[in-house]
Amino acid sequence: MKIKKGWIPIFLLPAVILFLLIYAVPLVMVFVTSLFDYRLTGQGMTFIGFDNYVRLFHDPDFAKALFNTVIWIFIQCIAHVALGTFIALILYKKPKGWKFVRTAYMIPNIISNAAIGMIFLNIFNPQFGIINSVLKAVGLEHLTHNWLMDSSTAFPSVTLIWVLFAGYTTTLVLAQALSIDESVLEAAKVDGATPFQTDLFVVLPLLKKIIGTTMVMAATYMLQMFDLIYITTNGGPGKTTTNLPLLLYGVYKGENNYGYANTIGVFIVVIGVVAMTVINKALKVNDEDY
Amino acid sequence: MSHMQMTTKERVLCVLKYLFLALCVFVALFPIIWVIMSSFKTNAEILSNGVALPKTPSLTGYRNALTISPILNYFGHSIIITTVSTVLNVLFLAMAAYVFARCRFRGRDVLYFILSLAMVIPMTALLHPVYSVIQALGLYDTKTGLILVYTALNLPMSLLILRGTFLSIPRALEEAAYVDGAGFVRTFFQIMLPCAKGGLTSAAVLAFLQSWNEFTFALVLTSGQDARTLPLSLSYFTAQFSFDYPAMFAAVTIAVIPSIIVFAVFQEQVVSSLTAGSVKE
Repeated sequence: MKIKKGWIPIFLLPAVILFLLIYAVPLVMVFVTSLFDYRLTGQGMTFIGFDNYVRLFHDPDFAKALFNTVIWIFIQCIAHVALGTFIALILYKKPKGWKFVRTAYMIPNIISNAAIGMIFLNIFNPQFGIINSVLKAVGLEHLTHNWLMDSSTAFPSVTLIWVLFAGYTTTLVLAQALSIDESVLEAAKVDGATPFQTDLFVVLPLLKKIIGTTMVMAATYMLQMFDLIYITTNGGPGKTTTNLPLLLYGVYKGENNYGYANTIGVFIVVIGVVAMTVINKALKVNDEDY
Repeated sequence: MSHMQMTTKERVLCVLKYLFLALCVFVALFPIIWVIMSSFKTNAEILSNGVALPKTPSLTGYRNALTISPILNYFGHSIIITTVSTVLNVLFLAMAAYVFARCRFRGRDVLYFILSLAMVIPMTALLHPVYSVIQALGLYDTKTGLILVYTALNLPMSLLILRGTFLSIPRALEEAAYVDGAGFVRTFFQIMLPCAKGGLTSAAVLAFLQSWNEFTFALVLTSGQDARTLPLSLSYFTAQFSFDYPAMFAAVTIAVIPSIIVFAVFQEQVVSSLTAGSVKE
């Protein structure tokens, strides 16, 4: 096929410019500025080597944010993905209304997190929120809490805002499960496997790759989680529900310490790479042999 | 297996299965239904009983939401920013994806690999540098700034979907066009884009949802009301409406309805594009 080669760079140019401006240049900047004392714009930058990193490892807020981030990644990769996969394993047998369940379950995932945050801020509202209203209605008044503002309940309450909504996981795992060859399932049945055994020993292993993918997505999502926490607890009370992006935002906007904020940014990027490698290794997501 | 042959154990399991699925639907839909319902209540009704139905549906919440805050302006900003960034994203990425799928040139695979790395970069790590870039371009607190960022945020997903789409279109179509004397650009716009309609819709729907819902960069890249988007404006509502709960619920309802409509209309597209984006590869 004869193609005027001159058009190739022109067709690539917009995408490459977007990539450079919003991904590549900021990525380089985040690494470079983490080595500088870089505060308010216009005050210049001083090279300080790894001082920001030294501060990072002595910063109790960072320890707390890192701890929460890692815990949330674990919870999301295990509980959230397991729930989504479990629902997909029910739906792939196409019970009545399976498409409706898939659609309904996706809805919390496709509306904005700002709205979800506002909704849960009100669900947990101590005066008229659903949870306290129901507790009062059934005579469990003593169990009512200011869920998001009480340090003993804030962490699990915030977690609840995202952990149950596994619509993406369900949709992806379901799509893969529906593509499994009928004959494989028939063969298992002929060999005398119960439906439960078939799911556990035949279907699940065939879904390993997509489950790995959803785990990577869940980990990346939690690593970047900002809006839901910002709107509901803003990391509080104290630092109970803070995570790395929230800490970064606080250092960036509150302290105007850009060098240190970007050091946290470097850490987020590094954790992203580590998490992805670990999950891929653990599940051998890149295996080609099945 | 017919229902006649089900044992008691199987029947119990079947009931449990449907109860569980009903619970899932309840958990997913109840919060949204609650908000929509509450938007039609009065403040007094909400404060006296959080879960009761409104006695007579009132539109005061909506009237207040529209008068207390310029929510229609924010809605307009969101429409402009989302539409423009979605169109640009799909156009630019279709151009790039077409070249990656069809043309041979030196460094093609390396460039494709580098661009798809965008998929794995956690963007909240880059809040300040992205702000610096937008500031340096003179686009801080402008719709153009947000359009630029949103167009880029959907780069990796659109690239993946659209390259797959172009690879699946038979080459014979273009060859016929070239034989007929059509040029590269005309072939792309008049022959290839219409053929890639499915992939373009998928990419556009995902880009629309992401841009419509985006919060974090809107927070960092705007300061005033000129470019404030709808999701961002929600976070100001608690303070702004000072305990006018129906107005706040009305605002949340206004923000979620477009996403739900787009999802309802393009549901199959969303599912297939998500699947294409992560199952293949």
